[in-house]
Amino acid sequence: MRKICYYCFLGHWLNFLVGQIPMAPPPLLNPIQLSENNVTDSNETVSHPPKRSSQLETIQKAQIDLRHGELGQRVGAAKLLGKYAGSLSSSSLIGALDDRSALVRRASMVSLSEHFLNGYPVYDKSLVEKIFSKLGDSDVEVRREVSTLIPRLVSPMMRGGVERVVINGRSVLRPTSASLRPDLYALTQRAFLDEDAIVRQNVLKYHSYLRVPLPPLSLSKLLRDQDRGVLLTALDRISMNASQPRIMDEIERLSRHEDRGVRLKVVDVARDCNRYHTKYRSILRSMTEDPDAEVTSMAAVELARFGEKINPSVIERIKNYLLSAKGMSSQVTTILYAVSAMGSDGIGVYKSLTEHGSSRMRTIAWQRFLSLSSGWENSQNWIPALRDRDEGVRKAVVNTLRGRIKGLDRATLGSLVESPNEDVRKFLAESLIDAEQEAVEAYGFDLLIDEESHVRASTIRSLGARRSPGWLKIMERSLLDDEYVIQRAAMDALLAEPVRGISVLQEYLSQNPQSRISSMIRIELQRSGVQP
Amino acid sequence: MSKNFTTLLFLLFVFSMFENVIKAQSTRPSRSEDGLRVMQLMKNPNGVRRYPDALPSLLRIMNEQTWAKFDTDPLFISELTDERIFENPILYINCDDQTNLEFSTEENQALRRYMELGGFVYLDAGIKASFLGADLGHSYAAWEERPEVKEWFQEIFPEKAFIPLDRSHDLFRIFFRGLPKNADLQIEASQKRLPETVLTFVEQEKWPQGTYSFVGIKVKGRLACVASPICAMGWGRDEFGNWIPPISFRIRESAENFDENLKLASFTGGTFEVIREDGLKDIIYSEPGQRPAWVQEPTGRWRIFKYYSGEEISNYAHSFYARLGMNVFLYALLN
Repeated sequence: MRKICYYCFLGHWLNFLVGQIPMAPPPLLNPIQLSENNVTDSNETVSHPPKRSSQLETIQKAQIDLRHGELGQRVGAAKLLGKYAGSLSSSSLIGALDDRSALVRRASMVSLSEHFLNGYPVYDKSLVEKIFSKLGDSDVEVRREVSTLIPRLVSPMMRGGVERVVINGRSVLRPTSASLRPDLYALTQRAFLDEDAIVRQNVLKYHSYLRVPLPPLSLSKLLRDQDRGVLLTALDRISMNASQPRIMDEIERLSRHEDRGVRLKVVDVARDCNRYHTKYRSILRSMTEDPDAEVTSMAAVELARFGEKINPSVIERIKNYLLSAKGMSSQVTTILYAVSAMGSDGIGVYKSLTEHGSSRMRTIAWQRFLSLSSGWENSQNWIPALRDRDEGVRKAVVNTLRGRIKGLDRATLGSLVESPNEDVRKFLAESLIDAEQEAVEAYGFDLLIDEESHVRASTIRSLGARRSPGWLKIMERSLLDDEYVIQRAAMDALLAEPVRGISVLQEYLSQNPQSRISSMIRIELQRSGVQP
Repeated sequence: MSKNFTTLLFLLFVFSMFENVIKAQSTRPSRSEDGLRVMQLMKNPNGVRRYPDALPSLLRIMNEQTWAKFDTDPLFISELTDERIFENPILYINCDDQTNLEFSTEENQALRRYMELGGFVYLDAGIKASFLGADLGHSYAAWEERPEVKEWFQEIFPEKAFIPLDRSHDLFRIFFRGLPKNADLQIEASQKRLPETVLTFVEQEKWPQGTYSFVGIKVKGRLACVASPICAMGWGRDEFGNWIPPISFRIRESAENFDENLKLASFTGGTFEVIREDGLKDIIYSEPGQRPAWVQEPTGRWRIFKYYSGEEISNYAHSFYARLGMNVFLYALLN
């Protein structure tokens, strides 16, 4: 037993000497905490995330991999460097654009794009020119990336500046050109006819940024391109060459293209290029015979805008197209508004469209119909509009009529006075102000006892303005109404009559000093210089 | 015999659907319109719609390319208690267009009733990974509905939860199958559709067989509601037939030694966990103010995020989203 104790003591003492365990645990120390706080003293295995390297270390390692690694490492390094925007990464990636492997060049180009898109462009002109030169790369993906990036390359690449040169032993500063380097200029011109459609389309889109003109011959070829995207982009770019006979021939050919979108684009182009040559107008004329109603309509309205008379059969097709349109797409909206350009011919189209299923379409149709035909002069023209089921349509029509119609007659009032819509009755009440006396006598009372207080208030205001016989009595009674809006209308009408109206108000005040309107009457009378 | 009978039943079903549609059209107060009208919720009718041309454009394409006939003018409603919802069988909601996803008890009850009576609800942008934050121009294939949608539907169907739609679900192949080919993209047969790494990732992982991350709720055995990452951004076309607006791709790329290099590479941002299709979680590494940098997958693999933009990328994405969107609406029409 004594030996056992002796060996135990000796073992602990040796352990203490070699430092594997503390001589004694610190007081009150949690053993779990111990293993966490002092891991080197623990025999347990604890997994910890490896320490990440610094950004500089990461970039430097990637640079080495990109320069000296195997193919897979080079690709990985190029991809990783895309995450670290800055001059160090960018210069390495630009250097890798000359890698013999297309995979590395692609990865480098994508990473450079990532820098640009994240707001870290390369500013050095020579470096940017190096990137742009890859528009001539043998790999299509690299060329696509470069051509997509053109708008972001333009600013540093087209920047002028100064350079220091030594002439006869003297250091001289001289300006550098702000235009594209000649070899890059030639490269861009070749890229118009690149074998890849995406590259062609991008260069077509952005060539003007680079101040590289599009040669008519190239444009002519591009207008025959099989790719729809290229074709539509080429159609956007014809203005500089619009007067060239071969371009006009191409546009004429495209006006019969099988794709409806292309034909619609031709209408757009022909309209814009009309100023360059009269042939564009004849193209538009021929397109009014197009089998597609939308193309016909677009061509016809553009001709109408030029002041040309449109054939009645074409107008009929436009009308049918608009009548069959579901809702207000951008094309329908354009055509609908442009029908106005047909002048009197357009009136019939708008009249038909007042029956359309779309309330937005009916709104515009009613407004245009009434404006073009001076339709407010005859109530038979606009009475159906006030019977429309849609409040938006009715309100738009009322706004068009307001201030234009004169003297509603008895028949008009009679046909609308029982309208289920408050907004219509309110409009009638407002119109009583200059309606025919016979109409007021027949229907004024109906509006005066309308179920809606706003209609009644408007009627009171109109009657107050007319001052027909007995109006003072109506105002006096209205001051006793429960509705404040009615009292207010009556007060306003009476205030406008300085002799009899004021005395009615004074009398009301003396009899109803505490009513809701009384304080307002008092203030208004004082403002008018009358002591209540 | 049984096959013929099934066909007959199917035709009767389709006919009854159309009959209901026609009845619904005839009972509504508006004037006669051809085709089925899709409703679109805008809680604030005057609010800004991020993709105003998207739904009308998709409906127009559907009318051109399928047998279905939709009214291309969506019916806008601002409240779910609007009685017109019971007259139209499909309700489209772009969750990003709403001021919030908080609805009154009455509205929730109305929506429950709508779904129980056969209505279909499509929650576009109903899936949104947390790391996207307020960035509305991105989508990410997470496999769970966004928290606001989860909270909302717990009030409507407390007993139900959104379940991920299997890649083999009929919704992904009811009309269009697989990913767009060159002919669908209207490009030459020899033209490269996408960069190689992008195409491989898209075909194998991003949208295999033309599928995407969808979750849904079944009511009375019928899929009555689906939620997806934002798809409307891919539906718009201008008058000439060009897709709008441009779309770019985020894809995952690997390379030699990435499992070691990305673990050690410099990184100072935050991390986000996102549920995958298999229920496991990806850890997304994201630098502040920048798009996500790379991902640690539960298999232990590390991959880097790469971003591709350009005409071919955008056209492909639009074509995919349009086909997917049409499949959703056609599925809704037939189920």
